[in-house]
Amino acid sequence: MKDLILRNRYTLLLATLIVYMGVLVAEGMITGREARVIEFENPYFDFNMNEFEGFRDRRNVNEDVRTS
Amino acid sequence: MDKFALLQFYGLLKREVLEHRNLFIGAPAVVALLILVATIWVATQIDQSQLAEGLRYVSVLFDGLSPFDMAPFFMLLAVPFYLTLYVCSVIYLINTLYQDRKEMSVLFWQSMPVSNLQTVLSKIVAIVVVAPIFYVLIIFAMYLVAMVWLTILGISNDVDLVGIGYMFLAAIASLVLIYISALVTSLWLLPSVGWLLLFSAFAKKTPLLWAGGVFILVGFLEDFIFGTQYLANWVASRTSDPNQYLIFEFQSVFERVFNYDTLFGIVVGAILIAGAVFMRRFTD
Repeated sequence: MKDLILRNRYTLLLATLIVYMGVLVAEGMITGREARVIEFENPYFDFNMNEFEGFRDRRNVNEDVRTS
Repeated sequence: MDKFALLQFYGLLKREVLEHRNLFIGAPAVVALLILVATIWVATQIDQSQLAEGLRYVSVLFDGLSPFDMAPFFMLLAVPFYLTLYVCSVIYLINTLYQDRKEMSVLFWQSMPVSNLQTVLSKIVAIVVVAPIFYVLIIFAMYLVAMVWLTILGISNDVDLVGIGYMFLAAIASLVLIYISALVTSLWLLPSVGWLLLFSAFAKKTPLLWAGGVFILVGFLEDFIFGTQYLANWVASRTSDPNQYLIFEFQSVFERVFNYDTLFGIVVGAILIAGAVFMRRFTD
């Protein structure tokens, strides 16, 4: 097995990527991972990029109000 | 670890710093110089009395306040340095093992009494631990120059300098936060560090293209083989919010480092770094 994995650079890359994918997918299945952001306390700034969509929506609403 | 091993590792670190002076010292020095020049240019555009009034206001604002409480506000000044460090880190990590093979110096280093593990670890320590030290030192030098300039400005405009002294202390305290943030960010992004090193050790040409291309391909493969998107979800979870790794309070360091996501990221990063260590045996 060791000889097979270390035969050349391509087999080694493949083995590393299989382990990488295996670990991530297994962990994802066990924990039911979804795209999420851990919310840490930060009393100084608020720059969650997930909220940019909402910011753009609010700006569009404001522009609509101005033009109407 | 015996003394000889420590000396070996110190030698490897010194080699990394000497070979990448531009990324470790040159780049942040240029950023600091640009910030100083821009600040002085802006100051020359403002009326002298308004400048004195602003300085008086800042002096009163900071007077008597705890430097540690005010330190986070100075982290905003470090944003250009963080961005420079990230860009330099990517350039360094993707080129470092590739360059060794390209110029054949890998043969020389493999003939020395240092293992591939030591060499790869020295590269990680150089960018994770040593590079931020240079960045913080250069930010400190920039603060020092700014402080001297503000002091001269204050004396010439008859401004009470006690508040400026407190401001300088807050700026110095922020340097600790900046360094800890850089360290925690490196741990948080260790999978990216491992990924870049793996392809730096693997690619015969254009390692950055390999790293980017395989990253996209693996995402598609997961969707195709397993019908899941855990990889994409994982990457999205780790990169979308700088709050996850920037430290604004000393009390929060423990919870940032010792949480499930950071530790799991370190495990994934270790898998990729192990791949890079083994990959280094292929020198052609």
